[in-house]
Amino acid sequence: MKKFLERFYMGLILVFMYLPIVTMIVLSFNASKSRARWGGFTFKWYLNLFGDSEIINALANTMTIALISTLVATVIGTLTCVALMGVGRKSRAFIMGITNIPMINADIVTGISLMLLFRFLHMNTGFITVLIAHITFNIPYVMLSVMPRMKTINPSVYEAALDLGAEPFFAFRKTILPDLMPAVLSGAMMAFTMSLDDFIITYFTKGSGFDTLSTKIYNEVKRGIQPEIYALSAIIFLMVIVIMLGSRIMRYNKAKRAGSKEDSYAAKKRLPIGKTIAVIALAVVMITAGLVFGGVFRSKSNQVYVYNWGEYIDPEVIEIFQEETGIEVVYDEFESNEIMYAKLASDGAAYDVVCPSDYMISKLIGEDMLSPLDWDELPYAKENLDEAYMQSAAQFDPGNKYTIPNFCGTVGILYNKTMVDGPVNSWDILWDPKYKGSILMQDSVRDAFMVALARNGYSINSTDRMELEKAAADLIAQKPLVQAYVIDQVRDKMIGGEAALGVIYSGEAVYTQRENPDLEYVIPDEGSNVWLDGWCITKDARHKENALKWINFLCREDIALKNFEFVTYTTPNKKAQELIEDESIKNSEVAFPSEESLSNCEVYQYLGNDADKIYNDLWKKVKAAE
Amino acid sequence: MFKKSKASAALVSPYIAWSVIFIVVPLIMILFYGLSDTSGAFTFDNVAAILTPENSKALALAMVLSVISTFICFMIAYPLGMILASNKVSSQGIITTLFILPMWMNFLLRTLAWMTLLENKGVINGILSFFGLPQISVINTPAAIVIGMVYNFLPFMILPIYNSLARIDDNVISAARDLGANALQTFFRITLPLTVPGILSGITMVFIPALTTFAISTMMGGSKILLIGNVIEQEFTLVYDWNMGSGLSLVLMVFIVISMVVSALTEQKGDN
Repeated sequence: MKKFLERFYMGLILVFMYLPIVTMIVLSFNASKSRARWGGFTFKWYLNLFGDSEIINALANTMTIALISTLVATVIGTLTCVALMGVGRKSRAFIMGITNIPMINADIVTGISLMLLFRFLHMNTGFITVLIAHITFNIPYVMLSVMPRMKTINPSVYEAALDLGAEPFFAFRKTILPDLMPAVLSGAMMAFTMSLDDFIITYFTKGSGFDTLSTKIYNEVKRGIQPEIYALSAIIFLMVIVIMLGSRIMRYNKAKRAGSKEDSYAAKKRLPIGKTIAVIALAVVMITAGLVFGGVFRSKSNQVYVYNWGEYIDPEVIEIFQEETGIEVVYDEFESNEIMYAKLASDGAAYDVVCPSDYMISKLIGEDMLSPLDWDELPYAKENLDEAYMQSAAQFDPGNKYTIPNFCGTVGILYNKTMVDGPVNSWDILWDPKYKGSILMQDSVRDAFMVALARNGYSINSTDRMELEKAAADLIAQKPLVQAYVIDQVRDKMIGGEAALGVIYSGEAVYTQRENPDLEYVIPDEGSNVWLDGWCITKDARHKENALKWINFLCREDIALKNFEFVTYTTPNKKAQELIEDESIKNSEVAFPSEESLSNCEVYQYLGNDADKIYNDLWKKVKAAE
Repeated sequence: MFKKSKASAALVSPYIAWSVIFIVVPLIMILFYGLSDTSGAFTFDNVAAILTPENSKALALAMVLSVISTFICFMIAYPLGMILASNKVSSQGIITTLFILPMWMNFLLRTLAWMTLLENKGVINGILSFFGLPQISVINTPAAIVIGMVYNFLPFMILPIYNSLARIDDNVISAARDLGANALQTFFRITLPLTVPGILSGITMVFIPALTTFAISTMMGGSKILLIGNVIEQEFTLVYDWNMGSGLSLVLMVFIVISMVVSALTEQKGDN
């Protein structure tokens, strides 16, 4: 009976631990993107995954960082432990105290502190900074594994070896190291695990254009769950099992061999030199492969660092640009203007060319964070862009000195006709208790406040304290009805039927309707936001010439058309507009809204630092509310 | 005992240099930013900001959720550790590995798995509706965050507890039983006290990451639930207020120091 209970308990926990993993593996073969329905068996996601160079890069980076940091940390850690035996007790305790800090400290604090240091030293964040961070938090794992063992080692054998004329290093290798080796290996294993698994410290120290698997997945998840990630999980799980089984079998064989020559102490303890060399060679090969695939060796000069909205470009456009110009595009995505600003403000040289929208551009100009454009290098922009949009852009960028318009659109409600009754024409529906748990709000401060301000009939550029407090109170009242605050996830969740109503940008509407015909986009009668974003070159850009080539390339009519067809926001490129063949898109009210529907839409203005602070403080109140 | 030597001091110095530059100096920088305003003048405002309703609530909620998660992890891990440690068969290694294995899956993939299960149109609801059962709505609630924490950090509790249980000499237990203690007495007077170091290290390894996480709360909480980790992260990545973020980090560090002191004291007691 007791045996049965024990088995049952263990089984229960195993189910808890493995059910999620098994689920992901099953879903990786599911032809349907839906998580709740089986759509047939497919290998499609695996093929997509292998074709995704970014994920492969991230995987290579992860392995490289883990291997190098483990190797370095193991050497430094072991050496220090050995040497610590020869220093005074007090200094040893002190050094071990410092060593404990990264182990016990919260990852977020370690990550932030290192980020502050790297920014202070003006180091380019990327591979090197992440590596340093990983070595720093890995050393303690090695030391805390080696130190207890080191304390138990009797130095007399070592001293005897010295007395017999051995060189100190030789004596160390022959007498101390063999005893230490199991502890060194288990420390190294721990360090390797921690490095592979780390997200938070990498997140704060990675900088631009560099991702490990963790940070890559975090970005992917923010955009909605892609089945490719399930395929990745399945592969990683398979790798883990193979490695674990392999090491088990190796240990088992070793134990058997040791068992057969039990009398030979030396045979058991001696380090098999051949094997050590093989392991080191393997590590070197893997690290080199990682560096090559991870792109650390790529030429640094002919690049352009692009920072754009999520899902805001046709990936083929990037490929064509790279092929035609030979310039390598390092491409990162942001979710909101505010995130983009924080990144740029903390490291002005992180990106060469960015794509913020109206109010943020005027903030960046005001804070002298952009560099003026050389219009002579932008013939396609001069030629192809619609004059009307240039004039709109001039409202936040007087004289069109800094910005080339990219896309424009509106903010509205996307709703599922099968889940919502009656026509949707007012923001009020987002406060209807009937839809509790089925409402998706934008997780960006201006868009969220815009909804509440417009609903009350206030200007969406209000800086009036009373009006903003009222809007915040409305948002707090709405919060129990809201399923989640998301940005790029809205499209995925709406397509999947997770929610009935979502606040979304107009371009996403065309895309989501293609995937799920039940969806409808509407600009509420109270009015909304109409926005325009554009490409700007940062003041501290390291590749200004390439940035200009990038912007000019995107204005070429065939490229602008290709991009438009992918993202389906309103393109200010009049030549591209003429080239659109699909009549339903050409006449689409969503893609090209009429003057009438835009009549009560406003553009966001930059409201100044004081107003920004009020918005931020109130938004935090909303987010912290029940 | 090894002799003191100059060579040793020389060999220790690279590590000392490394830890000063990459551990001590960065912490001093947090201290500096946390105790100054944007112009660099001294202020206590950033630390005192923890007292605003939003921040103290985020901290309190993080405390509550991480305490619950730590407790659940402990309640699951201790019996499991006992079962694992009592299985003195050859398969012991394999079984223990089985419980640690998910640790090698990426942390975010583990969290993603639970998102997939718990979503409104997720796997669990899909199965429930197939059998005509009522749907659950757990995603984007504090309960979902607790599940995420427990699932991610459970191996960190199992490992140290199992290790300390496996190290107990069977003879000690037998002796207690021979001297007339019943099973319960043996457990509370012998087994439990002997595993206190393991329990403590398990608690620290679960409690601190749970207290300070922002990824789990973002993913499982739908950005609706703000924990102190989210507040700090957003000060850096959204609001761009490094001083405030550092000030709040200092508050977090106070909690960490407290737990360090407690575990150091307990360990010392154990040594004596």
